[in-house]
Amino acid sequence: MVTVQAVSEAKLIISSQSGDRSAFSELVRLHTRGVFNVVYRMCGDALIAEDATQETFIRAWQNLSSYRPQTSLRNWLYRIAFNAGMDMLRKEKRILPTDIEDLQLKDDQPSPESLASQNERTALVQKAILSLPDASRAVLVLKEYEGMSYREIAEALDIPLGTVMSRLNYARKLLKEKLEPKLFVSMEVEHV
Amino acid sequence: MSNHVIEWLNAYFDGELQGYRLHQVEAHLAGCEACRAELESLGKLSGLLHEVPLPDFPSPERFASQINLLLPQKRTPPPRRSLFEVGWWMIPVGIMAVWVFVSTALLLSNVVSVADSFGLLGTTTSSWISSPAETADLTAVLGGFGVLGGDSLQWAERTESLTRSMVPQFVLQVSVAVLYLAWFATWLARHTRQPREGLIEG
Repeated sequence: MVTVQAVSEAKLIISSQSGDRSAFSELVRLHTRGVFNVVYRMCGDALIAEDATQETFIRAWQNLSSYRPQTSLRNWLYRIAFNAGMDMLRKEKRILPTDIEDLQLKDDQPSPESLASQNERTALVQKAILSLPDASRAVLVLKEYEGMSYREIAEALDIPLGTVMSRLNYARKLLKEKLEPKLFVSMEVEHV
Repeated sequence: MSNHVIEWLNAYFDGELQGYRLHQVEAHLAGCEACRAELESLGKLSGLLHEVPLPDFPSPERFASQINLLLPQKRTPPPRRSLFEVGWWMIPVGIMAVWVFVSTALLLSNVVSVADSFGLLGTTTSSWISSPAETADLTAVLGGFGVLGGDSLQWAERTESLTRSMVPQFVLQVSVAVLYLAWFATWLARHTRQPREGLIEG
């Protein structure tokens, strides 16, 4: 079903493609939060994410003529955002945690009480997400933080539906392996 | 373990299953504590992931204004159609041109043949067009050995002659159609690259 929002977005896209900067600004306004959310979850750094968000919209403006209306603008932007985020990370030479050892908290043997601390817990979860392979992390971010369907993710990342499923299964399996011994236990302690 | 539905639990958790697969997973979950625990852990994991907050970010309006100032004055002009793209669109044009040419040639050939059979062409012209000996070689051989004779020989000659004129036409038409359909299928695949699958069914 075509919504009113989709129709007005389509008009904004057509105007932007013919060079209307104010129409493009409106598109930026509509998609800023989503793009920022995606790149932040991918790179875990607010400053890099902000730069990558800017870069995403500049690239989108420059390549708007290649956008095909059959695909969702949001999905198209997210694909650019992933590339921009990854490029930005490489440029900044940021080293993402890749090993379980990188996920240790300050204490060698953290107690459930210390893990119950919200900040430490979110930091650990964030690190666990960042330690995932890029391809799996991208699928996980779109599913968990953008609530996209498998089909939408497949379109945004230009991968088959089966690959979406396998990457998501793999990402969640890795996360559970990394987080389950520590955090799930502390969650249960918290809820008692 | 082989009867467990672990591989489908993520899709079930995400609401992506339907039909037989959905019923299969639901029925299994009703009787399997291990899979229920696995499903519960997916819920816990999702809850944990959502505990990570999003940092502060400029308001969308302010950010849109900033972007507006950063946009290049002129967008990069759309890339000129590459040679490949032009060549790509020349394929169906070429196929259609070949088809029109072949069809016209065959039509003219048939017209001339019919005219010849009615004796409308002179003997010289007629000899250029066809030679009965060449159009019914096999039948002539069979006639020579006495296998065929009389009406059956005449009937066989006509059949062989008709086959010799029809088969090349048929092969050409089918080849052109196959080439065109192959190009069309490739074009369709290029333009529908996004997955069409909906929910995952069993």
